Amino acid sequence: MVKMNDRIENAREELRSQIDAKVLSYFSSCVHCGLCAEACHFHVETGDPRYTPIYKLEPMRKLWRREHTFSGRLSRLLGRSSDLSERDFADWEELVYDSCNLCGRCSMVCPVGIDIAYMLRKQREAFNISGYAPEGMKKALQRTLDTGSPMGVSLKTLKATLVHVEKASGLKIPVDRKDAEYMALFSSMEVVNFPGYIESVARIFHAAGISWTISSEAFEATNAGIQIGSREGAKEIVSRVVDTAEKLGVKYLISPECGHAYTAIRWEGPNLIGRRYRFEVIHILELLDQLQREGRLKLNGRSDTPMTLHDPCQIVRRGGVIEPPRNLLHQVASGFVETTDHGTMNWCCGGGGGVSANERAEALRLKVFGRKKKQFEESGVDTVITACANCRIILEEGLEHFEMDTQVIGLTELVAEYLEQSE
Amino acid sequence: MIGDFIDGPLWYFSLTVFLLGVAWRVIAILRLGVAQDLSEARNSGSGGALLTLFSRSLPRRPVVTRGRVQLVAGYMFHLGLFALLFLAQPHVEFISQRITGFGWASLPHWGFIFVSEIAFAGLLLLILYRLMNPVTRLISDAGDYTASLLVFLVMLTGCLALAQTYEALRLLHLLLAELLLIYFPFSTLMHAFTFAISRGYTGAAMARRGVNA
Amino acid sequence: MYRPVQDTVFSRLLPFIIVLLMVIGGGVSAQNLEEGIQVPNPGADLWREVRKRQPVPSPSLQLPMNQATGVNLWSEMRQTNLAPVGSTQIKSVDSSMLINPFGDQWRRFRTEQLVPYGGYAVGTMLLLLVLFYLIRGRVPIHAGPSDKRLPRYTVYERMIHWFTASIFLFLALTGLTMLFGRSLLIPLMGADAFSLLASASKEGHNLFGPLFLLALALVFFRFVRRNIYQRGDLTWLLRGGGLIGSKHVPSNFFNMGEKSMFWMLVLIGGVTAVSGVMLLFPILGLGREMMALSHVAHGITAIVMTLVIIGHIYIGSVGMEGALEGMTTGYCDLNWAREHHDWWAEQCVERGEVVSVEAAAEAEGFTEGAPKHNPLGEAGK
Repeated sequence: MVKMNDRIENAREELRSQIDAKVLSYFSSCVHCGLCAEACHFHVETGDPRYTPIYKLEPMRKLWRREHTFSGRLSRLLGRSSDLSERDFADWEELVYDSCNLCGRCSMVCPVGIDIAYMLRKQREAFNISGYAPEGMKKALQRTLDTGSPMGVSLKTLKATLVHVEKASGLKIPVDRKDAEYMALFSSMEVVNFPGYIESVARIFHAAGISWTISSEAFEATNAGIQIGSREGAKEIVSRVVDTAEKLGVKYLISPECGHAYTAIRWEGPNLIGRRYRFEVIHILELLDQLQREGRLKLNGRSDTPMTLHDPCQIVRRGGVIEPPRNLLHQVASGFVETTDHGTMNWCCGGGGGVSANERAEALRLKVFGRKKKQFEESGVDTVITACANCRIILEEGLEHFEMDTQVIGLTELVAEYLEQSE
Repeated sequence: MIGDFIDGPLWYFSLTVFLLGVAWRVIAILRLGVAQDLSEARNSGSGGALLTLFSRSLPRRPVVTRGRVQLVAGYMFHLGLFALLFLAQPHVEFISQRITGFGWASLPHWGFIFVSEIAFAGLLLLILYRLMNPVTRLISDAGDYTASLLVFLVMLTGCLALAQTYEALRLLHLLLAELLLIYFPFSTLMHAFTFAISRGYTGAAMARRGVNA
Repeated sequence: MYRPVQDTVFSRLLPFIIVLLMVIGGGVSAQNLEEGIQVPNPGADLWREVRKRQPVPSPSLQLPMNQATGVNLWSEMRQTNLAPVGSTQIKSVDSSMLINPFGDQWRRFRTEQLVPYGGYAVGTMLLLLVLFYLIRGRVPIHAGPSDKRLPRYTVYERMIHWFTASIFLFLALTGLTMLFGRSLLIPLMGADAFSLLASASKEGHNLFGPLFLLALALVFFRFVRRNIYQRGDLTWLLRGGGLIGSKHVPSNFFNMGEKSMFWMLVLIGGVTAVSGVMLLFPILGLGREMMALSHVAHGITAIVMTLVIIGHIYIGSVGMEGALEGMTTGYCDLNWAREHHDWWAEQCVERGEVVSVEAAAEAEGFTEGAPKHNPLGEAGK
């Protein structure tokens, strides 16, 4: 079929254009030591060598070898090597999408410093164009482009949730305010499953005297384009937010408790749209931490329940928001203990990188959750705090699957619980 | 006659191929460049590049626990190899005579033997690990085995020529070393130079995000 | 006294040690002189001793007086008596031994006994195995190969096994070259080429020798627990391990044959390694006798180990179907395990460790591409 051949040719072209100096240096340095596998929960929990992170990049490596190495070019000249075929894309789809959360733990242990997650994100751009990507993720992107939300959360749905929140908190949620300093985003997951986050944010901002707003035109933080590997889609989603924020003239844009949302808006956004923002991006945890240290956010009391922290990969390891969640948790929890692997070396919940939207990957995802299970059991606590709505739902699903009694609480919600009550 | 060839033209040829080849590959990598990162950096990229260049040599917990064999054998091999390459008396003399024009203090003979044994043990264990471990078995290709074997043969022939009495043994060692130099720029051995670039790039990118990688 | 030439080194063992102890511990035996010189002067004492002594003609030697004196002087110098006659100012090892008479014994042992008998032993072993293979053939898995596998050796265990194996092979090759080269190889390649080969072998042998100690240590600590004698081992041994005849003989993870091989490797091979290190470092304060002893021990135990390993290699490769896979892939055939290590196989089956051939191949990195999504919903196993 001509159409399919075009798609594969386009995919090859895309993969070609994704190869930059970093990719060249990475493939040149890789000595196939396999240490990346020892950091990846997919390999560690299944023992299957095919989940070795660098192995997931075989298509890209083949292209690199064929076009950027002497031996590869010689083989091509002699007609002894073949180009990436449709078969390659079809065969590798599951490795690229089902068994990688883009969590970047592999990138932290590679002895020669290869950023495997960086390369896999690039490889997904080609796979998306080839059409070999999971249905669930394709639908999520399409829904976002069509409706603004990957879960189909419309403005009406949001407004209905806001009504509940306003009733519960007694506060008004500002929408489309013109003179606000901060614009907040929400992820659909929060709106649908954890509206307590919105309420907590409202109460905290009120207590701290933050002038803020949300926008009715662009309230969605989740970026499904990042996950499937569509820079066009990702750019469109980011642009909606950036244009609105600049229109409103806010100084700061608040990224909520959603991992990939932070990566999208904070790190990839300016490169997707090709220019710097006219505002600053701040993660909700950074803001809360800053407010608390400045004394604008007054907290009273502490929970003595033993609890531990699950670090969302995109916020902590790939995002650099490492200390704020810990600072905040120390403020409100006297029984806070770190897991052995914590901070930038914490284990992924298994739901990142679009895997949570991929039904086909569910069985595998639940299996590799065994790593988190062991981690929590080792820590000896029954309460886990996290700051990403996707992590929250995935953790809850995983804990239920393994019939564990562990409770999951959102960090912002926990902080809001200990707001100093002004009479 | 063949000895003159190995000592003379082949030596110059192999050295040239090595130097030009390495330079070519490094330049080819850097020339392609990376798109400018327009996001607001938390910390300086160059600082991060320098940090990660060195900090990656210190293993993280997953490596210490699950990659212990490679950690130990890897360092045994690399440290032993560098010591014997640059601190063994026959090599110091060779480099002084043929490359730099000056030499430096070298190890006593027993020191040479000691670091060689460590290097051999490390390399043997690494080669066997590559063959036996499922992960490395899956992802290793002919280039990995060729490079390991060639390095091993160079080391072995060097060991066989240790008495420094027989020209034929010295020439065999030199010949294999020259073949290794020629093979080097086209192989995975380039990691000896490109590792600095890859560590640097990753360190810079992560430092901009505020992560010490 | 005059000693017969046919004495072998073995009968000298005890006197060697006694002499050694006396030499090491020996001090100056100050002899009081008759002439009143108070400074002890052993050299002068010896000379006076010799001159004073009446020549004693031996029954077989009817020599004139001055020649008999020379013979006896020579006997004294050669220190064929047990008591050391002299001592020196230089208190280093062997400094009071002017001429080592046992060196010749040692040399003759090597050329007249070690080399020929060692050579015959190795040649005979090879011949026996060839004959055994021609007569008995490859011992098959009686139930035939199955499609099930048991995990047998971990990555680390296989690594250290092949580490030890490759070092041993290299040491054996270079060592045998040095031992048999003069008789077998010089006729083939000429003296010049052989001297080059021998030099290379010596350097290689000496460098890799200490690594064998490392390998032995790694193997010992990893496998010692599975090589402790267990109930049923003696029965296995008495029934020839099933090699002779075809009756099924049960066994644990390692059968008695393997356990014997392990202990031989550790004990006999250990002597080879330790004596080798002693030979490498003559600066450790060892005298000529000790060095000669080390060489003798090294040579004999090395030949013994070569014989044992030749048998080991035969059984592990050609001799038995299904024996090699455990040490290369890490998995062994279930039927093979049942036939050769029944009790261990049963335990594995009870623990649920049996896997299919496909699963074993996947786990061992032999299968490429993405793992196929399990249609039953439970990914992987």
